[in-house]
Amino acid sequence: MSKNPFENQSIKKERMFFLILVVCSVFVIFTLYLFSMQVTRWMEYQNRAWAVARRTSEVPALRGEIYDRNYDAPLASNVDSFAVSIVPAETDRQKLPQIISNLAAILGTEPQALMKKIPQADVFQTIELKDNVSYGQIVQIASNIEDFPGISWSSKPVRHYNHTPSLSHVIGYVGNINTEELHLLYNKGYDANSIIGKNGIEKEYDLTLKGTPGLKSITVDAKGRNVQEERYIRAPVPGKNIVLTIDRRIQELCEKALGERMGSVVVLKPATGEILAMVSYPSYDTNRFYAPDSASYYSTLLENRNHPFLNRSIQSANAPASVFKTIMMTATLEERAFPPTQKIDCTGKLVLGDRTFNCHLKTGHGPLNLSDALMESCDVYFWEIGGNYLGPRKIEQYSRMMGLGEKTGVDLPGEVAGLVPNPEWKLERTNEMWVGGDTYNMSIGQGFTQVTTLQIADLIAMIVNEGTIYVPHLLKEVRDVVTGEVVEKRAPRILHKADISSQTFKELKKAMRRVVSEGSIRRLFNNKVVSVAGKTGTGEVGFTDRWTSWFASYGPYQAENPEDQVVVVVMIEASNEWEWWAPKASNAIYQGIFANQSYEEVVKTLDIWYLNNGTDIIRRRSE
Amino acid sequence: MNRKSYLTFDFIIILAVLCLSVISVCFIYSSGLNSEGINTSVEFIKQIIWVVTGLAIMALIIYVDYKYLYDFAYYIYGVCIIMLLITLLVGNKVNGARSWLGLPGVGIQPSEFAKLGTIIALSAFCTKNRENIRSLAVFLRAAVIPLLPMALILAQPDLGTSLVYIPIFLVILFMAGTKIRYLFFLVACGIGVTLFTIIPMWSGYVLKQETFFVAVFSNQLLMLAVLGACLLIVILSAVGWFIFKKGIYYWMCYSFVILSSSLFMAMLAQKILKAYQIMRLVVFLDPSVDPQGAGWNILQSLTAIGSGGLFGKGFLRGTQSHYNYLPQQSNDFIFSIIAEEIGFFGSMVVFLCFFIIIIRAFIIANSSKDSFGSYLCFGIIAMIFFHFVINIGMAMGIMPITGIPLLFLSYGGSSLWTSMMAAGILINIYYRRYGFKI
Repeated sequence: MSKNPFENQSIKKERMFFLILVVCSVFVIFTLYLFSMQVTRWMEYQNRAWAVARRTSEVPALRGEIYDRNYDAPLASNVDSFAVSIVPAETDRQKLPQIISNLAAILGTEPQALMKKIPQADVFQTIELKDNVSYGQIVQIASNIEDFPGISWSSKPVRHYNHTPSLSHVIGYVGNINTEELHLLYNKGYDANSIIGKNGIEKEYDLTLKGTPGLKSITVDAKGRNVQEERYIRAPVPGKNIVLTIDRRIQELCEKALGERMGSVVVLKPATGEILAMVSYPSYDTNRFYAPDSASYYSTLLENRNHPFLNRSIQSANAPASVFKTIMMTATLEERAFPPTQKIDCTGKLVLGDRTFNCHLKTGHGPLNLSDALMESCDVYFWEIGGNYLGPRKIEQYSRMMGLGEKTGVDLPGEVAGLVPNPEWKLERTNEMWVGGDTYNMSIGQGFTQVTTLQIADLIAMIVNEGTIYVPHLLKEVRDVVTGEVVEKRAPRILHKADISSQTFKELKKAMRRVVSEGSIRRLFNNKVVSVAGKTGTGEVGFTDRWTSWFASYGPYQAENPEDQVVVVVMIEASNEWEWWAPKASNAIYQGIFANQSYEEVVKTLDIWYLNNGTDIIRRRSE
Repeated sequence: MNRKSYLTFDFIIILAVLCLSVISVCFIYSSGLNSEGINTSVEFIKQIIWVVTGLAIMALIIYVDYKYLYDFAYYIYGVCIIMLLITLLVGNKVNGARSWLGLPGVGIQPSEFAKLGTIIALSAFCTKNRENIRSLAVFLRAAVIPLLPMALILAQPDLGTSLVYIPIFLVILFMAGTKIRYLFFLVACGIGVTLFTIIPMWSGYVLKQETFFVAVFSNQLLMLAVLGACLLIVILSAVGWFIFKKGIYYWMCYSFVILSSSLFMAMLAQKILKAYQIMRLVVFLDPSVDPQGAGWNILQSLTAIGSGGLFGKGFLRGTQSHYNYLPQQSNDFIFSIIAEEIGFFGSMVVFLCFFIIIIRAFIIANSSKDSFGSYLCFGIIAMIFFHFVINIGMAMGIMPITGIPLLFLSYGGSSLWTSMMAAGILINIYYRRYGFKI
């Protein structure tokens, strides 16, 4: 180095000035920018900071309980239970498979099922792994909490049903809301986490039962941990209790009287429309939907060819068979179509063109008047009346007047309307003309006519009330969950008021009384506590070996107070025409209701051993 | 030393440095608090140790005449390069980059010290070649000095830290008096590369559509074609210049060389840059692209700063930071927590400290009796200023996330010691502005 490196410096002032300018302008820009962030737009960022740290979470409202009319013990209640959750960002990814397999061992599930629910990303959200976890299982997790990083739990009550199996169809069950339900009910206070009634009363009165969830505000850190006391923005409002018109004693009685026979029983109070019992067999156990094997149980139910999910009282319609003759008699009397005292001679068959129609009694009933014909359930008589004196139009008119072919409006979801045919309907449906044979079939409740058990119960109710049907209903009253006060009471509402003279109904009732007191079932009706009037029916289902056996009746036949009267309709999809299960079961039910006896006592009192176990008898007979 | 010589100390810089050190320790303590207000970190204790030792090192550097820096410039530089090499071979990985020598937590980051080494070497080089500083050959030789550590640091890989060498080089050469067109060439290339690299990503993530103009920068074949055309123009204009000796051909050649090198380097960059680096750039352009992933840091930092307001939420009262929404609080995002807790006024104190240090550095550079001292000052100005702009700009969302610390404030021994040493050098130069002292 020749020159002295430390000679006087000679930096260019204009270049340095340029640098200083750059530095100063950057400082000014940064200062202004910071000012705009912290002072001008402070509110915006402040709100964002709040929004990030404040989380509102929903506090589930306790679902209302369901009681029977006695309002003593709940049929559906809530049981303390827990849900186990994970926060993926708080757990240890390396040890996760081990953590999950330990957890699965305690919860009694497959580790894979739990793993599937955990997202790959380390999110701070709480993800529910399993609900319906018992207190004991939570204790096991809690005592080893250091082995379960990121795992937490919260209270999540589950529904518990404490009722006889046949009430499953009436009460229904609850489950997590699905997408379609959410779309439909989006504006009615439901969200993606709602528990919703899926069937029965739980579905019908979901809005009453579910209550309003509360809102809780918590301040959380980035890991989702609470850093402040929880605050309620809105306290949850529990759902209301529902009291049903069902009397669980009568329900159990009917259930046992029906036994293991496919069919349904409806008991209602004609004076108000209150349903006292509604049984459908086969049924299902709702509590098993919340058990570990719920999925497999559910699928076996779905695959069962007897359709256990079907509520046979309102969701399946069958030919009314000879029960329909009550409508025929009403029409005949009211229209004065044929003198009730004039006799028609039953020879056991009727020839129409090239077809021969056989009465159920092949040998013939001999000469019968209207009342006799109903008592003997003579087909020939009603063929004559229907075919020659009434015609399909009148029959249709009276059927509709008496509630057939139309929903009863019962407070249960999924009711079917049944069917009352007419010539136009047949032409449209089958592209065939209505023929005389159709009128004949219609006259004895066969052919196209289809009715539900509840519609037949309404029909009998109209006869009892002499022209009025009250909307059948299951809701008796709504009560406050805390005070037990009645919040809402279901008043009887009129469904139909037929313009039929009470004289007609009186005649009909007399004939119906004769069915029980003089007809072929008189020996079956051996109960002494109540006089019953009714009508049997045996309908074709379409299979030669399967019949529907009906018995539609009411009792007592004459009552001072109409409130005391009950309608009992039993419909059994019997496998044999002559077993008469329906009247036999009805006999037991009346004994139980009016003698205030349990089914076992009824069996003993009436000495009707044969009703004890229906399947045994079927087996014995088929052998 | 007489009584007067003490007054020749630049006490203003020392005061600013001390002020920043106190703020640093306070907010590293604050960043260690969790949501329950319990301290979960010993970082602030370590920082105190580093501040104290750093001040001692600073004092030592003030004591030793900076002419020795000149004498040993290339040795210092050599040691830095060797350290970087060793780091690359046996260093520890922290956050994906092999940048630590020794144990993590107690080791050092040679890439921090290498900045000072490079400043010293560059200053010495420019001092030695003052006479022909305007020649291209000297410029190119000077460029080797920062390129070597840059390459080694890029290999770690640590893009952010390596970028610091560019402004250091530019500023020292600028002040040493090199031709503006050389520097402009570099700056234009840099801007070109950045633009050409970002445009296709920006269109992909933000616009979510592709136009022909964008396709030029994303389609490899098209890019090669454009590059070929540019090179042809370069050759033609070079020929034109040799034959006609007209200025227009020179400038045409000059601009198309810039263009083609930018294109070429953009192609390389698109191949070399890691996915997370690309995402950082995209997120810088639009943080809402990925609010849970890469955009999280920026959004949380913006929220922290913005919600601080005029006076802040109060010391140890920041919600964004203590609820752990803010990432890397003690390192890269220390400014966010400061701005959140002591607000605009507190941030102004920080700004003022940096402004004082930089302006004092200009004054010292101006008053230095020799060129070497001035160049050192300008290198240090470039380093501190670049860190300041990038780090705080990143926290405020006006610069991409590059992960470089804020000197004097961020947690970390190496970075703090480097800052202290730099401050020491500044004071040293000021102290000896009238001639050599002990």
